[in-house]
Amino acid sequence: MNAQSAYDPLRPAKRPVRKPRQAPRYRILVHKSFHNHYTQLVSRVGEQQAKQFWDHIAHHPGQPDPIAQTTILKGRAGKPRGDGWSRTIHYEVSSSARIDYQYNDTYATSPDNDQHKVVAILTINYTSH
Amino acid sequence: MSDTIFQASDLAGSRRVEFLDAARGGRARLRDRDGMSLVMLPEATLRLLETLTTWWESYSRLDSLVHRTSNMPSARELGDLAWLRSFSRDDIVEFLMELYDALVAASADQDAGVLESCIAAWRLTARQLEDPLRRSVLLGSHVDSHFIEVSEPK
Repeated sequence: MNAQSAYDPLRPAKRPVRKPRQAPRYRILVHKSFHNHYTQLVSRVGEQQAKQFWDHIAHHPGQPDPIAQTTILKGRAGKPRGDGWSRTIHYEVSSSARIDYQYNDTYATSPDNDQHKVVAILTINYTSH
Repeated sequence: MSDTIFQASDLAGSRRVEFLDAARGGRARLRDRDGMSLVMLPEATLRLLETLTTWWESYSRLDSLVHRTSNMPSARELGDLAWLRSFSRDDIVEFLMELYDALVAASADQDAGVLESCIAAWRLTARQLEDPLRRSVLLGSHVDSHFIEVSEPK
């Protein structure tokens, strides 16, 4: 091989675009009453903030978000919906978009089914407080 | 904190700086010409005292209201706490306990941060419960068939 060449046949080429995103750790469920709201998320808050929210709930729904404000709801509204569910987390996607969710690391639809991690989006609110 | 009592004439003289330093340090006492005792505090200290006083009063009033009757207090009875009407009586009792703990912590810390966070979270929850649809979902139990799986929003 020519010592002056920049080509190294043993070095893999760089990825042409940014690295692929990791597969979601959590499956995401939305309450049927708010499914239409969910389909409007990108148009309401923009792609970047919608992606940030998705990345947060798909990977670390129980941790504070480094950018968005999160609050645990109080009273009965903040209580777990059953065994395995977290308390209700209120996530401020933007000043006019707020989402309440709980997550469950051992979710199974029946005792015989495999357990998996899920986030249940309970409500979506497009009014500013 | 200084025990010095300044005179009104000190404010126009060389002790003005000493007076201001005492005030910055927490408290400066001054005896006015007619004998009235005056105190200068950092504004943040005054705000903290006002906040604690307001919320201790609210706590006492609500505690009395809740223990006087087994019914849910009306908006009129709640007064400036009428935003609590979104909650059940059990929730209001829980609010009272959290408010008490936050008031004690804020008094001990000399910092209203923990109190403000507590109240902000309860107010936010109250606003979420104002909408009937959100309320029914937030207060309902989990039913698998009420949820559908979604992919990343596009």
